[in-house]
Amino acid sequence: MALLEIENLSVNYGGVQAVRGLSLKVEEGEVVTLIGANGAGKTTTLRAVSRMLRPREGRIVFAGRDITRVAPDEAVRLGVAQSPEGRQVLARQSIQDNLELGAYTRRDMGEVRADIGRMYGRFPRLGERRNQLAGTLSGGEQQMLAIARALMSRPRLLLLDEPSLGLAPIIVREIFDIIGELNAGGTTILLVEQNARLAMQRSHRTYVLEAGQLTLEGDSARLVNDERVLHAYLGG
Amino acid sequence: MELSQLIQNLMNGLAIGSVYAIFALGYTLVFSILGIINFAHGAVFTLGAYFTYTLVVGQFENNGLLKGINLFPDGSPFSGNPWLFALATLIGAAVAGLVAVLIERLAFRPMRSRGGDPLLALVSSLGVALVVVNLIQLLVGAEIYNFPSDAYGQVRPALSFHIGEKVVIIRTVQLIIFAVSLVMLALLGYVIGRTRVGKALRAVAENPGTASLLGISVDRFILITFFLSGFLGGLAGTLVGTAFGVAGPYFGVSYGLKGLAVIVLGGLGSIPGAVVGGLVIGLAEAFVPAQYSAYKDAVAFALLFVILLVRPQGLLGRAQIQKV
Repeated sequence: MALLEIENLSVNYGGVQAVRGLSLKVEEGEVVTLIGANGAGKTTTLRAVSRMLRPREGRIVFAGRDITRVAPDEAVRLGVAQSPEGRQVLARQSIQDNLELGAYTRRDMGEVRADIGRMYGRFPRLGERRNQLAGTLSGGEQQMLAIARALMSRPRLLLLDEPSLGLAPIIVREIFDIIGELNAGGTTILLVEQNARLAMQRSHRTYVLEAGQLTLEGDSARLVNDERVLHAYLGG
Repeated sequence: MELSQLIQNLMNGLAIGSVYAIFALGYTLVFSILGIINFAHGAVFTLGAYFTYTLVVGQFENNGLLKGINLFPDGSPFSGNPWLFALATLIGAAVAGLVAVLIERLAFRPMRSRGGDPLLALVSSLGVALVVVNLIQLLVGAEIYNFPSDAYGQVRPALSFHIGEKVVIIRTVQLIIFAVSLVMLALLGYVIGRTRVGKALRAVAENPGTASLLGISVDRFILITFFLSGFLGGLAGTLVGTAFGVAGPYFGVSYGLKGLAVIVLGGLGSIPGAVVGGLVIGLAEAFVPAQYSAYKDAVAFALLFVILLVRPQGLLGRAQIQKV
């Protein structure tokens, strides 16, 4: 059974039907990419999974449990964590506090402290700046903080929304290296990304969304050479 | 001004200013989470005083539907001892906090969940305030109820000391108000600044969407915020009521307006701002000469006006930065 199964999902957002009849699966251990133009419904899909948006129709099943109607904080408790578009770090709190809040649903305080130590090991620049306000970080550092913060809940599924947005190419590489490492460590990832080529190179499977509907799906290695994808999203 | 007079005014100003501060913090907490002013806060202040009075005295003998009912025919269990009185005050404040939670459910949440304009909630909270005021009048009448002087047992009513030839008198109740307010401020500062709950509360205030993504139940924190706000409001009501009497259903109205002046002066949404604003307005009023005391409110609001001309964001408010 897949870790995440979305069946026939329709979501309205801002008065329009942003996602229509979408079905997709994410297997345990996979990195799955959602690509599509602006407004295709990628972020809406992620926000429906993290329960920030209420679906109009359809089902979202996570680890065998129907989460279509659970509250957002319950979704976190069940093992879904999201690093949102635009990073959304808590600018007025320290890096340390951001990470602690990422573990808000956990009660094992000793392990939380150990995990924060591990995050500082993986993201040394966050460790150096642990007492600074998150708002003072650079864009790339904020993105790392957003990912680290999402990981602090020890999710089974990590939702990453546009992790490369607005970052310098060298930082984008670094972020994708981190995504690869996280996956190698066992984290399942559903990724929404504008940088389609890179995202497809670094993922197992890809879904292509157009105007809220699924138009293509398949192994990333195959789709990255597909005529239609090349033409529409890879500037080929 | 003579030194003794200066010290006397300072003491008076700090006592009333610290009450303004804890009362105004009730506004600030709700504002920092929801971005709106809870106009029912003054009514919660009034209720806090009436709740404590109910526990300590047990009857409203002057007027209203409740006239003739005595909760404690054998004497109130909360009377006659300063600690019992303190306990009654805390219970009164906690009940006021629950009323604030009820106000959130009735006047704020329905508007919010339907995506209504925040201004609507402002008007509905104003409506709640009017209902509360009228309900109090219906139940216990418009008379002033003073706490009997033996309610808190054998406590010296005042301390006096000499400065040169002159005498400075500090009412015990003023000292208590000041001490209680300081303790509340320190406690609140600790909870919000240092604890897990406080950090989560600040996360909700800064960005409710992100807070939910982290697993923080925003609705629950809104309720906690309203409870704290009502607790502070109700506590302030009892403190003022103990010092000057529970002055009828409209007791909280002028404090409600004063509290608004305090938070605007200090900077909307700023917790230290509410404290500084409260002390500044309290001190300014205390230094109004006795023969002009009828103009106290005018002085407070004139001060507000002048300071806002110079610093539109308030004394400790953040200047608005537009992020691109």
